[in-house]
Parts: sequence; structure tokens; C-alpha cells
Amino acid sequence: MTFRTRLLGIIVLMVAATVALVSWIVAGTTRRAFERMDDARTAALVGQFRREFDSRRAEVVRRVDGIANAPSTLQIAIDAGGPNPDLSRYVDQAKPLADAQGLDFLELVGNDGAIISSAQWPARFGYKEDWILDPAADWRRDRAFLDNVQLPDGDALALVSVGVVEAADKKLYVVGGERVDQQFLASLVLPAGMRVVLHRETGAAPAPVDRTLGPIIDRVRRERREAVETVGESAAAETIHAIPLLGRQNNLLGVLLVASSRRELAELVQLIRTIGFVAGGTGILVALVLAWWATARVTRPVQRLAEGARDVAAGNWNASVEVPSGDEIGALARAFNQMTHQLIEQRDRLLQAERVAAWRELARRLAHELKNPLFPLQITVENMKRARERYPDEFEEVFQESTATLLTELSNLKQIIGRFSDFAKMPPPELEQVDVNEVAERAMSLYRAQLGTPDRAPIVPRLELTGSLPPVEADPEQLGRALGNLVLNAIDAMPNGGTLTIRTGRNSSGVRIEVSDTGEGLTKEECERLFTPYYTTKAHGTGLGLAIVQSVVSDHKGKIAVESEPGKGTTFRIDLTAIQP
Amino acid sequence: MEMRERVVSLDPTDKAVPAAGLQMLIFDRLVRFDDSGRLQPGLAVSWQPDNDRKRWEFRLRPRVKFHDGYPLSAATVAGALQRLLAGTATVAASADSIVIQSDHAIPSLPAELALPAASIAARGPDGTLVGTGPFRVSRFDPARHLSLAAFEEYWAGRPFLDAVEIEMGRSPRDQFVDLQLGRADLVELSPSEMRPATERGTRSWNSAPVEVLALAFGQGHAPEDPRLREALALAIDRAAIHNVLLQRQGVANGALLPQWLSGYAFLFPNQMDLVRARQLVAELAPADRSLPLAYDPADAQARIIAERIAVNARDAGLSLQVTNQPRTELRLVRVRFTSLDPVAALAEISAGLGLPEARAIGSGRPELLYNAERSLLEGYKAVPLFDLPETYAAGPRVRMWLEPGISRMGWLQLADVWVEAVP
Repeated sequence: MTFRTRLLGIIVLMVAATVALVSWIVAGTTRRAFERMDDARTAALVGQFRREFDSRRAEVVRRVDGIANAPSTLQIAIDAGGPNPDLSRYVDQAKPLADAQGLDFLELVGNDGAIISSAQWPARFGYKEDWILDPAADWRRDRAFLDNVQLPDGDALALVSVGVVEAADKKLYVVGGERVDQQFLASLVLPAGMRVVLHRETGAAPAPVDRTLGPIIDRVRRERREAVETVGESAAAETIHAIPLLGRQNNLLGVLLVASSRRELAELVQLIRTIGFVAGGTGILVALVLAWWATARVTRPVQRLAEGARDVAAGNWNASVEVPSGDEIGALARAFNQMTHQLIEQRDRLLQAERVAAWRELARRLAHELKNPLFPLQITVENMKRARERYPDEFEEVFQESTATLLTELSNLKQIIGRFSDFAKMPPPELEQVDVNEVAERAMSLYRAQLGTPDRAPIVPRLELTGSLPPVEADPEQLGRALGNLVLNAIDAMPNGGTLTIRTGRNSSGVRIEVSDTGEGLTKEECERLFTPYYTTKAHGTGLGLAIVQSVVSDHKGKIAVESEPGKGTTFRIDLTAIQP
Repeated sequence: MEMRERVVSLDPTDKAVPAAGLQMLIFDRLVRFDDSGRLQPGLAVSWQPDNDRKRWEFRLRPRVKFHDGYPLSAATVAGALQRLLAGTATVAASADSIVIQSDHAIPSLPAELALPAASIAARGPDGTLVGTGPFRVSRFDPARHLSLAAFEEYWAGRPFLDAVEIEMGRSPRDQFVDLQLGRADLVELSPSEMRPATERGTRSWNSAPVEVLALAFGQGHAPEDPRLREALALAIDRAAIHNVLLQRQGVANGALLPQWLSGYAFLFPNQMDLVRARQLVAELAPADRSLPLAYDPADAQARIIAERIAVNARDAGLSLQVTNQPRTELRLVRVRFTSLDPVAALAEISAGLGLPEARAIGSGRPELLYNAERSLLEGYKAVPLFDLPETYAAGPRVRMWLEPGISRMGWLQLADVWVEAVP
């Protein structure tokens, strides 16, 4: 992952997290605020419903009182209060009275609690309503109360009121009521978004009208007091006020569930959420674009610096980075450019110093090489001059001997000059398929004779050749010459004898040839300068042997390395690219 | 005049009881019962059986004419009766009499011939039904209206009334209102209108209790367990129904025949025994404690009585679903008997309640009749509740020599009634 991508991801992540946090805070705050408003609204709605319900109570009381105060009812009371009353004539009286007052239920009950007439169940005349005779009955305190009214096909929940008509010491009870059912509730003026559900306790297995209302109904059943809960989810959620409907004996007749829809709140929350998503998405998108632009601005100089560093690493020391900004990146770029500039200057100075050192070495070497043959030349010429002056008769003989010596030394000078000339005129290799094992064997056999000469300590030759090596494309003459130089170097490194090993093997890309000795080894500094032309650690070397080896290896697109430690010998390692089959 | 029933046919052979009262105005029978239950001459002036009562000879009244002017002949009478007695006896006509011959004793033949179903009717040349009664049919709109006109040549003398207009299908309440408003001179009275009618000084004519109100368990559909039927019979509070819903009209009765007709009805218990009823119900499986109770949807009084019975049944632990749908498991029915002869009346009631025909009644001796009735009521396949009278209210214009204007059996005596002209 690039620096720019990482930077872009971090910025986008931060923006997204910020947007999400802000949206969450705004949504939560708004929702709480609206929930408070909704609670207040629901409380107001429930209050309105209660007032409406209370007004219906008052209406029932008014209607029952209207019947109780009617002259016809008074006549019934008078007849009922007389001796041996015959009340059978009033058996049908309740129905028209109930119809006239718009009551669903009406019973005329005699002084003994027996039903004289029943509108809702005419056939029930004569049966007793004992509860009405209870002097401590709640109906005497509450003008309207809830009660289960018995019907032929069961019972019904009703808002009931009892009116009393007194005639002398006898009483006639007018028990009237209005059915409380969904139709009754539907007739109440309810605010929009509110619904009322009636759950009746029938004594049978509880069967809530709505499965979601079951828990709150159970709660009211247990606690016998009002409960408020929110049921449902999202737009279908409702705040439920569950009001227990208690009867005359404080028994639970049912539960009135006043539900206030939370649809508006849910829609508002959804709107806020949608706006949050849209704003967040837009913010993230904008942030993405801006971050793309910003990261491009920020990372472009860094990229240039990286490219410059790669160029320098690749050897292009002339690389420079242009960063016009004056910030830290600009300072870094300027430091980079200054660094490369200084590197170039140091390299040039080093090259110049090395060139001077090389020339000095060359001069020293030349002087050294040339001084050896020149000294005999000078002695010979002085001998010839002295012989001619002092021993003229023997001059001829001396002359002959001296000229022979002069020629010999001149030949040596010519040879020295030829070697330098050869190094300067190294020909290009003539490549062909070569088996490195053959080249190694040939090099070893070429110098095998020198290893066992009696004038020096014996050197044990050893060949460790790996079979079936792939051929390499090489000039066998130059490669053999390079190996020969390494063998000679190894021989020179072991004046006290040792083991000389030529080893072949595979490497990652081709073949490897190693030439090892068990001589005195080299220091680290010596290793670093070993391939410098005209550098030698030997007293009589030209310093061109390893330079020639490196030149040959380089011409064959190979690599040469040296591994040595003082006292542990030296190993030269040549890696060549094999011909791909 | 107004009536609740809707008569669709006046043909005596239809045996439609609702039409019986009207048939008595249009047709005659060979014999008739007086209010004491004795047979009196009708179209037959005398009748004589042989010793073993297999052969009966009826001498016909002379100079009797049908409404279309044709004289009553023995052949016409024989033909009418042969249709009635088909399979039971043969009817032969002579010059002025008819002979009814059977291969077994038929001691109750005169009583049977006094029934409205034994009315002598004939078809006129135009196909209209004619009789020999005091009134002839001038217009008949089935189930809606009947116009009768006085038969000038009636053998017992022309009726005082020139015509009678009868409106059918009027509810008891409408009839009472029409009577009060002077739109009708004679109406039927239901128990619920009885009290206000009396308080207003309206003249009312009551028959003897000639209608049996009873619960009838359907044959083949009745609950198999007799304990259920007995529990229901014991749960019913007849007194409350009689006092309140029937306004003390009629009598509570646990027998099929009314006390005034049989003399032994008091031997059949009709008191509520809720404790015993609950014991019986407790022995029933819960699933067997429920059944529907059907009533005639045209009978408003039957509905409230059925509902009251359901209330009583609930006290005993039974659940009755009152319905006006035609169900056969249990019905609240009214059976109107038309004969003053206990044997014939019991047969009518048994048939009306879906009970099997009474056996071994013989000549109608009380003990045999009692045993037969006891046998019929065993198993509570029917539960008699009340015997109800027929009640009419007459308007102030209605006059007659001797009130009431109906017979003990509830037949209107319109031939002796006249109406004062409106001043």
C-alpha cells in the first residue's frame, strides 16, 4: 500500500468517523427531544380521552336519572311499594325506556332486589340483583361505574349508573348503562394518531386483541395499576397507556389500551437518519476528493524524493528533486539535492585521487621495474668504459660479454613494456560454448609442474569439480588465462607450501569457479584494492594479474569476488551465466 | 275483524287449524258439540249405530242448500266424508241419509265428524268452494283478506250481519290499536294486551284453554339421554311465566289434556324442582348440557317464553340457545285442539307434539285415557307447559243476545252478532 493510499484511507476514515459521530449525536439528541414532546403529546391525548370518557360517564348518569325522574317510573315505584304489588304489567317497561334514553341496558329492580323488567334480557324478570341491596355498595359512592352486565349470550362490559326512585319506604332501582366495547370507544372523539383498544377479562384463557399488547396487559393484571410501554418498532411503534378497568368490587374487568402512534416520531428519526446518511455520504465523497487532491499535493514531493533516491541508488548521482515549497518536504528535497551534489563532488575528488594514486603507483612500478634492468645496464656500460681505459686488450672480451648482458637486460625491458602493452590492448573475447570443468582441469595441469619444484615447499593441487554443469558462453583462452593468473597468485601466496584448490559448482544463475589457497591471506584493505591495476602485494609483481582477471570476467558478463582473512587463505570466486538449454 | 294468522286455504280437507275458526262460519258438520261437550244435530238431524258400533247411519237435514243454491244431497255428503274417512270406513248414500260402515268398532265417529275437518264442502260450477254455513265467501285473498256475506238461505236462519271483513296477519298489538281506534270491531287479544284491554273496559271473550303450549323434542333428533329432558322439565318456573309473561292467562299444566277436559291433569306435576334438575344435569357430560331451542319467529310471545325457559335452564346448568331458525332438536310449540272429545283432543295434541299415537284408549274411559297420557309423557319427549284460551276483544258496536260471542272451544258465534250503525 502506497503512502498516498494509506494517507487517503486515514483521512477518509477520520471523516467518516466524524460524520457518523456527529450524526449519532444529532439523531440521539433530536430523538430524545422529540420523545419528550411525544410523551407530553401522548399524556395530553390520554387526558383528552379520559375527559371524553368521563363525559360519557356523566351522560350515562344523566340518562339514568332521566328515567328515574320520569313520571312513569315513579308510578312503577308507587305500584311496587303498595301491598301485594302486581308488577307483571311492567315486565316490558324497561325496553322502551332504554330506547327512549338511548341506553343499551336498563333494569328496573324492585325493593327486594328482584328484576321487574330488563331491557337487555326481558326473560330474566324475577331474578335478584343482590349487589344492589348492599348498603356499602360502591355504586352508592360512584354514580357511574364499570360492570359486567349479564346477557343471554354471555355478558358485556358496561358503564353503569344506578338511579333510585323512592316511594314511601320502598325503593325502585333504575340500573342503566351503556355498552363499553370497540363501538363505544369508536364513538369517542379521539385525536388523530390515537386508537383505543379494549381488552376484556372474560375469565377464560387470556386472549389479547393484539399479540404485541399481551405483555402490558399481563403487567396491568399483576400490578392492578396503569402502565405505560412502547411496543412495536419503527413506524409501527406505539406508546401504550394501559388503564385497568375495575368493577364494583375492585375486580379487574378489562384493560383499556390507549395507543398513541409513534409514526411521526419514527418518520422524523428516519428523516434525520436519512439526512445523516446523505450528508455523511456526501461529506465522505467530498472528503475523498479533497483528500485525493491533498494527498497528491503532500505525497508528490515525497514521491519525487523517493524517485530521486532510487536514481541515486541505481547509480544516477546526477538525480535531483525539484520541490518549490518552503516546508519541511522542500527542505528535505533541498538537502537531498545538496547531498547528491556533494556525493558527485566527493566521487569526482575520489576518482581524481585514485587516478593520481594509480599514476603514482604506475610510476613507482615502472620505476621499480625499469630500475632493475637499468642497473645492470649502467654497471655493464661502466665496466665496458673502465675496461677500455684500463684493460684495452681485454676490452674485446669484456665488450662481448657486456653487449650480451645489455641485450639480455634490454630484452627484459622490452618484456616489461610488452606486458604493460598487453594489458592495455586486452582483445575482446571470442565466445563459444565452454565447459568450465575442462578449463579448470587445463589450468591446473598447466601449473601442476611448478607446484612440485624442489626449490620450494610443496603445494598440493586439488580439483573439486561438479559434474554435469551447464556450459557457459566464454572465450576459453581468456578464461584459462584468468584462471592461470589466479593459480599463479595462489602459488605466490603459499611460499611455505599448502593446498591449491580449484572448485566448480552451480550458483543461482549459472556456474561458479573458485580458486582457493591456504596461504597467509589478505587484509580487508588489501581485498578492497586487490583488483586495482598495478596494485600488488608482491615484491616482484606488476599489479596487472588480477586486473586482467577482473577485465576478463567483466568481458564475460560475470562477477568476481574475493574472500580472505589473514592466516586463513584466500578464495577467488567467479560467477558466470550459464547458457539456458 | 282482524286476526294474526294468515289463512291460505279454506278447504276443510287441508286440516289447517288456523282456518278452523273461519271454516266454522262457512261450513257445517253433520254433528257439533255444545259447550257442555254433548253432541248436537248439525246437518244430520239424527244418527244411529248398530250394536257393535261398526255401522252408523246419519239422517240428513232436509231442505239444506249450499251457498250456490244447490241442495245438500246425501251423495254430496257421502263424497265429502269418504275423503275424510278413506281407509277407515266406507260411506254410502241413500235418499236422505248416509251409512258409514267399518270393519271395526268406531265408537268415536260422531265426535270425529264434529271436527272442523269433517265440514261438508263442495265445489260449485265455477270451481269455488261452497258450504252450507251461515256465511258465504264473497272474496278471498289468501293470507291477506277474507270477505264473507250472509247466506240468505241458511237452514238455521239468516245471520244478523250482512257481511264480515276479515284482515289477516295483523300483530296482536296492531289489532289492539285498531280496536281502540275503531278500525276493527273484533280482534284477537294476546296476554300482553289483556291488562290494558281490561283497564280500558274492553269486552273480552275467552274460550276454555284450547291451546297447549309445550316443549317438543324432535323425534329422532331429541337428546338421547332422558335425564337432560327431565332436568329441563324440572327447571322451568311455570308460575313466573304464567304470572308475568302470560299475565295469568290460561293455566300451568304438566299434562297434555287440560284439566277442564280430562279432569285428572292435576295428577301430572308441573312444579319447578331446581335441586333435582341440577342433580340430573350434574350426571350429564358437559357436552350434553347444551342444545338449541327453536320457536316460531311469527310468535312474539313464544320468543320471550323461550328465553325465559333458557334462563331457567341456565339455573339448572343447561345451556339453551334460543333461535327462531327451524331446528328439530327442541321446539316451543302451540297445539290447538278442536275437539271437545278427550280422546280426539289427545290425538290432536299428540300429533301436534310429534308424539306417537295413543294406544289402548278404548272408549275413552278416564283411567285408560290417563294411562295413555302417562305413557305418552314418559321419557319427557314432550313437556306440557300451559293451556291457553283463545281471547277476543269486541268493540263497543258489537251486540248479541247472549255473550260471549265465542264457544267454549273458541269458535266465533258470528251468526248471532250484530253491529250497531254509527250514529
